[in-house]
Amino acid sequence: MSTALAAALQYFGRFGVDETLIRTALSAALARGGDRADVYFQHRVAHSLGLEDGAVNRAWSGIELGVGIRVLRGDQTGYGYTEDLSPASVRQAALTAAAIADGPALDRPIPQLVATAIPQRYPAKTPWDQVAASTRLPLLQRVQERAFAADPRVQKVTVHFSDEEGAVLMVDSDGRVAFDEQPMTLIHMSCMAEENGRRESNGGNIAGRAGLEFYTDAKLDKLVQEAVDRTTILFEAVQPPAGEMPVVLGAGSSGILLHEAIGHGLEADFNRKGVSIYADKLGKSIAAPFVTVVDDATPQGARGAINVDDEGNAAGLTTLIHDGVLQTYLHDSISARHYGVAPTGNGRRQSFRHAPLPRMRSTYMQNGPHTPEEIIASVERGIYCGNFANGQVQIGAGDFTFYVKNGWLIENGKLTRPIKDVNLIGNGPKVLEQIDMVGNDLKIDDGGWTCGKDGQSVPVSQGMPTTRVRAMTVGGRG
Amino acid sequence: MLKIAEKVVERARVHGAQQAAASAYQVREVSVQWRDGAVEKLTEATTRGVGVELYVDGRYASVSTSDLRADALDTFLADAVAMTRALAPDPFRALPDPALYAGQAAVDLELADPRYADLTAVERRELAEQLEAAARDTPDAARILSVTTSVSDSQSHSWRVHSDGFAGEKSGTSYWLGAEVSVQDPDGRRPEDACYAGARWRGDVPEPQGIGAEAARRTLSRLGSQKPASGQLTLVVDARAAGRVVSSLLGGLSAAGWQQKRSFLEGKLGAQIGNDLLDISDDPLVVRGLGSRRFDGEGIASRPLPLFADGVMKNGFIDTYYGKKLEMPPTTGRLSNLRWRLGSRTRAELLADVGDGILVTGFLGGNANGTTGDFSWGIQGFAIRGGRVAEPIGEANISGNHLTLWPTLLAVGDDPYRYSALRTPTLVFGGVHVAGR
Repeated sequence: MSTALAAALQYFGRFGVDETLIRTALSAALARGGDRADVYFQHRVAHSLGLEDGAVNRAWSGIELGVGIRVLRGDQTGYGYTEDLSPASVRQAALTAAAIADGPALDRPIPQLVATAIPQRYPAKTPWDQVAASTRLPLLQRVQERAFAADPRVQKVTVHFSDEEGAVLMVDSDGRVAFDEQPMTLIHMSCMAEENGRRESNGGNIAGRAGLEFYTDAKLDKLVQEAVDRTTILFEAVQPPAGEMPVVLGAGSSGILLHEAIGHGLEADFNRKGVSIYADKLGKSIAAPFVTVVDDATPQGARGAINVDDEGNAAGLTTLIHDGVLQTYLHDSISARHYGVAPTGNGRRQSFRHAPLPRMRSTYMQNGPHTPEEIIASVERGIYCGNFANGQVQIGAGDFTFYVKNGWLIENGKLTRPIKDVNLIGNGPKVLEQIDMVGNDLKIDDGGWTCGKDGQSVPVSQGMPTTRVRAMTVGGRG
Repeated sequence: MLKIAEKVVERARVHGAQQAAASAYQVREVSVQWRDGAVEKLTEATTRGVGVELYVDGRYASVSTSDLRADALDTFLADAVAMTRALAPDPFRALPDPALYAGQAAVDLELADPRYADLTAVERRELAEQLEAAARDTPDAARILSVTTSVSDSQSHSWRVHSDGFAGEKSGTSYWLGAEVSVQDPDGRRPEDACYAGARWRGDVPEPQGIGAEAARRTLSRLGSQKPASGQLTLVVDARAAGRVVSSLLGGLSAAGWQQKRSFLEGKLGAQIGNDLLDISDDPLVVRGLGSRRFDGEGIASRPLPLFADGVMKNGFIDTYYGKKLEMPPTTGRLSNLRWRLGSRTRAELLADVGDGILVTGFLGGNANGTTGDFSWGIQGFAIRGGRVAEPIGEANISGNHLTLWPTLLAVGDDPYRYSALRTPTLVFGGVHVAGR
């Protein structure tokens, strides 16, 4: 037995998981003639702490333990799961999943289990199970103190801190084993400020796959300063304008545009079904030659980083658009087999209760030829987007939106007045064609982004250099 | 599972909690996803777990686990109590006043279909197939790229036990059918839309034929949609879409937002928020209602709660904790079902009255600022010309502020949307900012 397999079985052994249980599950899964099957054991321990009205006076914690069993027959999926890891319960869940096929079992013994070697992109130096609650509390208190000290208009501060650790063990009917320990942490602060009887609130968060070492004083202080600045500037904000105009996306979290305008549309399940607006665009030029977009599993410690995907496939850097030409979709095993290509390591799932789907990881645009200064200076009248709350897309029609929490008016090449709370809407392929300047200041945002699809949430990252879109519809009133 | 909830409360107290409240649940979920002539995905599972709120030496934590092995559960509770002790005390945390447990309605809410177990795997598959056939039964079938349908049902049980003697049990079933259709627009776009319908009893779910046909009709109506001109227009929000606008308004009724001064409705009890057409109450006692309950998440006996009457704000969603902080009596922390004072006119009659404007049939993204009441949302729908639905529009936004929107509520339809606990009717607003071309 390899050491990786031994480590996996040592981790899950305390829950009664051994090679016999795994083989029982896989054999039951294939009992009705499925082509392939896999099991996904998961253990996750999460803690969070909340600070409100001056004290860290609330906590939550949760343990998730269970197994999901998937059976594939061509493009078809049968799925069952259970929180009860007793052999009888696991076997029953596997038989449920097996019902996607309805014939006799093929004569296919499960071969010897062989663990896949995986990279270590997020080793926690101080894992959360070695951190006492009393060590976490001062992090929240520091954030609160700094926020009140930063500006006298700040009246209320809340801080939410969470950490998570755990592991997944995946074994498929070819005997492939992957084991990954997955830490995650996030701190969110929000504040409410008052000025002349008016109230405004805003916030910020940072997140990563890491242990306690993630939180340096400098990082926390930057979080606080940004959140307070983003709140107090709202008192000066004017009504955002309405209608079509040039839009400059600031470096960093503007990557939400890529996530919505193109990322989802390139998830191969939508293309396999022919329902994506990008379904017939592989190999075609869809953006200016200085536009290169990637989906990357590798950024060290990033929220969207993965060592291996949730099907046990290797995950690396996938180039979606190279010099303006569409290169590939984002694949899971099902779509890769459908298209006859190698999986891209994008098969991800929320938990053992869900079958994997093609999903993004860390999606960003590479640097381009322009400077941020010349991009802003090029706009006569438009808006600059600073930070974002959320976005959404219609995969087929291509329309997508993102909500700008803070931004600026650009008048005669200069940022003049702040704006707030405005939704932008565009059409994916049209907006890609209209990206006509890309800056040389790529920044991958370290915010706690979560992507939702088909009822499943997964952590992601995104990034962007300063970028100009010739025209988008800005949903303001001015 | 009732025994597990009781055991958790008992063990939490042994480990040092003075008070505890546990909820244990078990849910069976089955779903069939069908696409273009074949099953795409079958999912079936029974999931279970337990959550417990701990009150330890004046401190509070809430924890949950799905590892129900007796030893694991006991270690988990011991750790949770120890973690709670590390927190700062919070004098406002307590179980509800037990007087509020009394008076549960004697009505049978009929939330669980007694014949749940009768639905077979073969019937689910047939329903999924019929949904697709209905969607494709249109003269424009050649434009259809793909049809995905879904049939899902669930049966849930939960048990809640408090250390102060409260005990309650809930059970429910639900059945949902849905169809999603994608069509080819000659200009290269592939618009998609869907129709979903569900109910607590199988016999109340509409026939798959109507659902599939409606999904296809909605999607085909999107072909050739254009960006509208910007302007200030009369807006008709159809019953299915109106939940977005209404839930954003109701966000302002949260007592947590009031206490944290992050609510545009803070301090406005008794104030006129909308014109007199805005008249909504929370009604937890709707027989077979999607959000119905006899007691809420804290064990408080459920009763109807007026929210807005003739446009005046009457109550908010106040749980025990924020009620104590605000020195206000708790109502309930969460919405159940909405009951509207409906208008007497149909959607068609409302459109005829409007003359010219925009009919919103769906929202795309956007958000609202809960502190100020500002909102900005992406929309799709149709132009209204001469009192009739005209060409499809999309890639547009609406924006405004709740405090100025609701006084312009011009009409409320007679058509509450049955497939959401918000039960929104068609709503008509005057002079909303639309951003397009």
